[in-house]
Amino acid sequence: MSRSSFFGLDIATRGLYTAQRGMTNVNHNVDNINTPGYSRQVLEQTAARPMLMVDGSGMLGTGSEVRGVKRVRDEYVDVKYRSEAQYLGEWDVKSTLLEEMQALYNEPSNSGFSTVMNEFYNGLQQLSTDPSSHSSRAALKEKAVMLTKYFNSVASHFEYLQNDVNDIIYAKVQEVNSLADQISRLNKQIYNYEVTGNVANDLRDQRGNLVDKIAKLVNVEAYEISYGKLPTGLEDMRFVVTINGKAIVDHYNVSHLEAVQRKEKANDEDIENLYEIGWADGNRVSIKSGELKGYLEVRDGNDGANGSPDYRGVPYYQRKMNEFVRVFARTFNEGIIDIDGDGVIDKTLGHIDGYTLDSQQGDEAAGIRFFTILDEDGNPMDSTTFALFAGDSPADIDIDYYNEMYSQITAKNFSVSSEVYDNPTHNIAIIGAAEEPGNVAVMDAILDLRHNTYMFNEGAPEDFIKTIISTMGVDGQQATHYYKNQMTMTNQIENRRQSLSGVSINEEMANLVRYQHAYNAAAKMIQTHAELLDVLVNRLGV
Amino acid sequence: MRITNNMLINNMLSNLGTNLGRVSKSQNQLATGKKISLPSDDPIVASRALKLRTDVAEIKQFKRNVEDATSWMEISETTLKQVGEVLKRTKELAVQAGNGTNTPEDMEKTKLEVEQLKIQMTHLANTTYSGRYIFSGFKTDKPLMDEDGVFQIDIANGEQIFYEVGIGDDISINVAGSDVFNYGNDAIAGEKSSIIQTFDDFLAALESGDGTNVGAVLGQLERDSDNVLRVRAGVGARMNRLELTSNRLEDDNISFTKLMSKNEDADIAETIMYLMNELNVYNSSLSVGAKVIQPSLVDFLT
Repeated sequence: MSRSSFFGLDIATRGLYTAQRGMTNVNHNVDNINTPGYSRQVLEQTAARPMLMVDGSGMLGTGSEVRGVKRVRDEYVDVKYRSEAQYLGEWDVKSTLLEEMQALYNEPSNSGFSTVMNEFYNGLQQLSTDPSSHSSRAALKEKAVMLTKYFNSVASHFEYLQNDVNDIIYAKVQEVNSLADQISRLNKQIYNYEVTGNVANDLRDQRGNLVDKIAKLVNVEAYEISYGKLPTGLEDMRFVVTINGKAIVDHYNVSHLEAVQRKEKANDEDIENLYEIGWADGNRVSIKSGELKGYLEVRDGNDGANGSPDYRGVPYYQRKMNEFVRVFARTFNEGIIDIDGDGVIDKTLGHIDGYTLDSQQGDEAAGIRFFTILDEDGNPMDSTTFALFAGDSPADIDIDYYNEMYSQITAKNFSVSSEVYDNPTHNIAIIGAAEEPGNVAVMDAILDLRHNTYMFNEGAPEDFIKTIISTMGVDGQQATHYYKNQMTMTNQIENRRQSLSGVSINEEMANLVRYQHAYNAAAKMIQTHAELLDVLVNRLGV
Repeated sequence: MRITNNMLINNMLSNLGTNLGRVSKSQNQLATGKKISLPSDDPIVASRALKLRTDVAEIKQFKRNVEDATSWMEISETTLKQVGEVLKRTKELAVQAGNGTNTPEDMEKTKLEVEQLKIQMTHLANTTYSGRYIFSGFKTDKPLMDEDGVFQIDIANGEQIFYEVGIGDDISINVAGSDVFNYGNDAIAGEKSSIIQTFDDFLAALESGDGTNVGAVLGQLERDSDNVLRVRAGVGARMNRLELTSNRLEDDNISFTKLMSKNEDADIAETIMYLMNELNVYNSSLSVGAKVIQPSLVDFLT
C-alpha cells in the first residue's frame, strides 16, 4: 500500500500548527498574568487520528493535534473563597467603623469625656469652697457648657456617621445590582458560546471574578444547574446566583435589590429616612453576611432592642448617651434618684432646692434647673418651659412625671438652662438657705452624687461612661481580631487558588522553549521532505 | 505545591504590610509616648486610664481644697491668737485695776486702753478672708457684730462650713462666732456678745471706781480666755488633721500619677528595642522580597 507523496508534509504541517498554537497559548497566559480572576490555560494536545494500514502493518501515526484549550481551575476552592470572603467583608467594615466611632469619644486623651467631666466637678468643688465667688460661678458655667457641648458634638458626629453609612448602604445596593447585571450579560455570552460545545474559558473567569466581588458585599451562593438536555445532546447548564435561596441572577434574568427610605424610624435615636433593603419585587431580604451586613449592623444595631440587629452600633451608643444625660440631669436638677439602691426612688437635694445669692429671708427655694435642653432655635431653654412638658407637678414623688420631663433631653440637645447660661452669678443655686452664702448643703448633696453607685446600673456617672467606652473598645478589638483572622483565611485560600490557577513565568518560558523546539523540528521535517521531493521531481532526470 | 509569580508577590506584599504595621505601631507609641491610641488596642488599659485620670483630677482638686481650707484656718488661728492676747492684756489691766492702789488718773488711762481693746475685739470678730467674714457662720457676707459688740446676725454653733478633702471626707473649716464671742451659746441678732459684755462690765467698774466689781470682771475674763483656748485647741486639732490629709493627698497624687503612667505610658527603652527589631525584620523582608520576585527564567534565556 503506497502513501501519498505529500503525507510527510501534512504531518510536519500539523506539528507546526500545534507548536504555534502552544506558543500562542504561552503568549495568552503571560499577557494575563496580572488579570484579576484569570486562570491559566493549557492545551489539550493529543496524537492525531492514526491511519490503519490495510496491509496489516499496523497503525500509521499522523502527527499531533490540539483538541481544545482548558482552564485550570478548582470550583471547590472558589466556593471556599466566597464563603470566607463574605465574612472578610463584614468584619472589614465593622473594624473600620468601630475605629471611627472610638475616635468620636476621643478617649483616652486629655480632651475627652473624662477631662470635661473632671473639669466640671472641679468647678463645682471650687465653687463649694467659695460659694459667693462670682468668678468661680462664671467658671462653673463655662465648664458646664463644655460638658454639654461635648455630648452635643459626640451625638452629632454619631448622626453624621449614621448618615454616611446610610449613603454607603445605598451605593452598595447599587453595586450589587450592577454586578448582577454584568453577571447576567456574561451568562448570555457564555451560554451562546458554549451551546456549540465549546468552553468559554476567559468569560467564565470574568464571571467568577464578578461573583467573588458580589460575595464580599452580601451572602450569595453561585452554582450551575442543569435544565435538561439540549437538542445537541449536551446538558443545558444555566448559571444561578442566590441570596438566601432567592435568585438575584437566574440565567438571563436579574431580580434587583432596592433601597427604600423608611417611613418610620426603627430606633428612636435614628436619623430620618434611613434606607431599608428589600427585593425590588417587594419581598423582604435577610442579609446574613458581607459588607452590607457590616454596614447595616453598625447603622441599625441597638443591642437587639426594638427588633434591631443584635449588635452595638450607632443607635446603641446614642441610646446609652441619652440615658446618661437624662439620669444625670434629673439627679443633678431634681435630686430624684434611688440613692440607696433599694429600688425605691428617693428625693435628695438637687439644684432646684437651692437658693441664689439674691434669695431673701423667707423666700422659697429658687426652683432653677441647672440643665435643660436647646430649643428648636438652638438656644438654651428656661427651666419652667422645660418642666411644663410633663404637665403639672404631682404632689408626691412620681418617677413617671420626671421620666416624662427628662425624656426631652437627648445627648444632642443637652444644655445648661437659660437662667444659668444668662446669669450664672445669681442663678447657680447651690446655697442651702436664703442669705447664707456659706451654707453649701445643696452643693454637698450634688457633689455626693458623683460617687453614688446606684445612679446607673453600670454604677456612678463616670463608671457609666467608662463602661460604654470599654464596651466599644472590646467590640473594636473583637472586630479587628476577626478581620485579621478572616484576612489570613482568605489569603490562604487565595494562595491555594493562585497555586493551582496562577500563571508561572518559569513554566510558561519552559513551555515556550519546548514549543519553539517542536516548531523548529517540524520546520526541519518540512525542509527534509522538500529535499526529498526535490530529488524526486527535479533530479531523477525523467 | 506549585508556586506562581503572583503568589510570591501577594505573600511578599501581605508580609510587608504586617511588618510595616508593627513598625507603625511602635513608631506611634514612641511619638505619643502612650501604649494605646484607641480603646480597642487594649480595652482594659483604656478603662483603667479613664479611672486613674478621674482619680488624679480629684486628688488635685482635693489638694486645692485643702490649701484653701488651710489658709482659712490659718487666718482663724491667727485671729484667735490675737483674741487671746487682747484678753490677756485686759486681764493684766483688770488685775492692776483691782489692787486698790490706783490713782484716778491711772484708772482713766486704764479705761482708755480697755475701750481700745474692746474696739480691737469687735474688729477681730469681723475678720475677713478674701471678702468673707470668717466668724459669721453661713452668713459669710455679713459682719458678725457692730462696734458696740451687738450681734448683727443669728448664728448657731452648728453653722459649720465643710470642705471636701477626700471622697466622703469632709472637714469643717470655720469657727462659729458664737462659739468664741458668746461663750458657746447661739447668738441672736440684736443681743450683745458676752465677751464685749465683759468689756462693758469692766468699763462700768472702772467708771464707778469700785475695785470689788473688777474682781467679778476678772472671773469673766478668766472664763472667756479659757473658752478661746478651748476653741483654739479645736482649730489646732483640725489643722493637724488637714496637714495629715494634705500629706496623704500628696502621697496619693504621686502614687496615682505613677500608676497612671505605668498603665498607659509606653516603656521607651523597650519600645525602641522593639522598633529596631521590627525595622530589622522589615528591612530584611524588603531585601529578600526584592531578590525573590525579580528573577525568572526570562532572565536566563538568550
